[in-house]
Amino acid sequence: MPKLLRVVNREQCIGCFSCMYSCSRVWFKAITPEKAALRVRIYHGIEGAFSIRPCYGCFDPDCANACPTQALMPRKGGGVQLAADKCVHCEKCINACVPKALQWDRELGVPIPCRHCGICVQFCPNNVLEMSEVPQNEGGASENV
Amino acid sequence: MRTYKMLEVDLKSGEFKTSDITPLFEKYLGGTGVATALFGEVPPENDPYSPSAPIFFVIGPFSGVYPVATKTIAVFKSPLTGNLGESHAGGRLAMAIQGTGFHVLKIVGKAPVLSYLVINEDSVVIKRANSLKGMSALATERVLRDREDAGFKRSMIRIGPAGERLSPIAGVTVDSSRHFGRLGLGGVMGSKNLKAVVISGGKYWSISNPAQFNTFYKKIYESVVKSPAMKKYHDLGTSMNVLPLSQINGLPTRNFSQGFFESGKEISGEKFAEKHLCQQIACAHCQVGCIHVASLREAFDPTEHMYKTFKVSYDHELIYALGSNLSIQSTEEILRLLLLVEKQGWDAISIGVTLAWAIDAFKAGFIGTKETNGLVLNFGDAAVCEKMLHHTADGKTEFFSDLEKGADFCSAKYGGKEFAIAFGKNEAAGYMTGLYAFLGYATGVRHSHLDAAGYSIDQGNLTKPQSDEDSTKALYKESVWRMILNSLTICLFARNIYTKEVILEGLDALEIPGWTEDKLLTTAKRIHALKHLCKQKCGFKLDQIPFPDRLTKVFTSAGKVSEDRFRQQINFFQQLVDDDIKTLL
Repeated sequence: MPKLLRVVNREQCIGCFSCMYSCSRVWFKAITPEKAALRVRIYHGIEGAFSIRPCYGCFDPDCANACPTQALMPRKGGGVQLAADKCVHCEKCINACVPKALQWDRELGVPIPCRHCGICVQFCPNNVLEMSEVPQNEGGASENV
Repeated sequence: MRTYKMLEVDLKSGEFKTSDITPLFEKYLGGTGVATALFGEVPPENDPYSPSAPIFFVIGPFSGVYPVATKTIAVFKSPLTGNLGESHAGGRLAMAIQGTGFHVLKIVGKAPVLSYLVINEDSVVIKRANSLKGMSALATERVLRDREDAGFKRSMIRIGPAGERLSPIAGVTVDSSRHFGRLGLGGVMGSKNLKAVVISGGKYWSISNPAQFNTFYKKIYESVVKSPAMKKYHDLGTSMNVLPLSQINGLPTRNFSQGFFESGKEISGEKFAEKHLCQQIACAHCQVGCIHVASLREAFDPTEHMYKTFKVSYDHELIYALGSNLSIQSTEEILRLLLLVEKQGWDAISIGVTLAWAIDAFKAGFIGTKETNGLVLNFGDAAVCEKMLHHTADGKTEFFSDLEKGADFCSAKYGGKEFAIAFGKNEAAGYMTGLYAFLGYATGVRHSHLDAAGYSIDQGNLTKPQSDEDSTKALYKESVWRMILNSLTICLFARNIYTKEVILEGLDALEIPGWTEDKLLTTAKRIHALKHLCKQKCGFKLDQIPFPDRLTKVFTSAGKVSEDRFRQQINFFQQLVDDDIKTLL
């Protein structure tokens, strides 16, 4: 059964951004949180209220559905993959993702699809994230967003 | 080759310019080293509140790169001490500055009206903000986070009303709960009509040797999340010190009149954890999560079961400054005081120590109910302390307005120098372990307990005594070495992880060439000497630093400390520094 990235212990997040740094570091060789395929969102003025938005691995992804050029296509096992040469940089994909889980690479002008590789899981100090086996056709958000 | 740039903003003209200052980073690494070199170029006679007085925010080559290199170093002329002002803060600021593509932000000038500054990569905008006048440090964050969102991860620093009133003990709040607390940066920002700075950007350094870099990163990561050296910081945090210090007569109690607090158990780290700890949070790129957040739920209309809940962060220093040192015996009362301090944006240590001085001054008759607007000041009276803070914020009387100028100022004006517990005019931190805690405050380049952790030497001497001369050498050695940690902007909690060898390996993995153990140590000495020279040029004389008489009478963890012994070691430390100044500068 394929594995997808899941938020399993949202309340244990300390907001260190280690997950985002690891994604940027490993996939883009970039020292920044901004290239990551997921986001830890902070609610201003509220100490320690974090919401983690990874790609939910949808099987009929809203983002791919919104792509006018089929640059973003459903990925086997859940989620999406990008053919960057077809991308027309319209940002319709990121706007279609209701939880703002799909990130935009502002440097290259393309979306950043999550590979569900699990590198962020390895660098989370508090077991907030997990690679979980998800039955075919059951992608989508877990309840712990 | 790594390059480093400085962004210089003039708040008066609204103009900004950028420059390449890579050579300074090659010489001084970054952080505190570079900041001190830049401060050294500022005329020492400059008034801390003059528009031309610069504020430098500096990060280092490890900032945002490796775990726990989370600090930003702020350097400015301190309105509290009149010499080198330096304060370090975590939060998300170093990450955000790195995202702008700069390693140094220099702010000069005075905005014509209260304003805030937005730095987003290369764009710099100064915005009028009269509507933020008098707004608490906490509310300002809520408002500006709504207002300013460039789409990148952000950081926000701002002052509360205390900074706007130019209090020399006003700090600057960073993100939710970090601070440039010490030495009056809040007042300096206030003098520039600068309420806040919002910073973000997506720039980054690339990794061209991923195998080497990622192997090194993983090693540090494993140390950070698994090392026993880091465990205590996310466990009870520094508040774990409260009870053990009290047990060895090292917890300042009732304005440093004793080291044992009879209610230590009631305000211990364990008690805070049991009653209030709701979560730990972290600075960006630190997997430890040492920021302890307390929540306090209170009924505001018990007849109708109406409740309010607030959250505030706490640590050892805050518990000492607003707890044991005022003889306040309940966690709830400490948290209520802390919330007021957070809103106003005072440095918690300085305002706490100044309140303690005021209570002693009242008891000794230096001030009376005329000055206090009828309040009777007593240790242990949290309700009166709360009123004192409100009166200070409101400027109720001249005396209360003076309280936010610090203990040294107040004692010079009203009397009671002998119990104004400040070193180099900076109120002392929460360790009363003996001579080396005091020497650490006195000789520290920023008069902080973090300059050399003298308290640690005192505690070591309890079990393994060494001579005063050897202890002073150890203090000096630690002060010097911390220049490297602070230049790399490594949080001092990770000092045992980032050894010399690890630092050299990290520089190599980041492709920063030319560093050896010898060069690190020489650079550390040079930065340390340069700081002392800067302080001297501003008029600071270490050998004439006042030693509050009370501290010669109190029984510390290491017994009584005579002024003669203190002076001898001050002079010895001065010699060590003078040698460095002669040979290295």
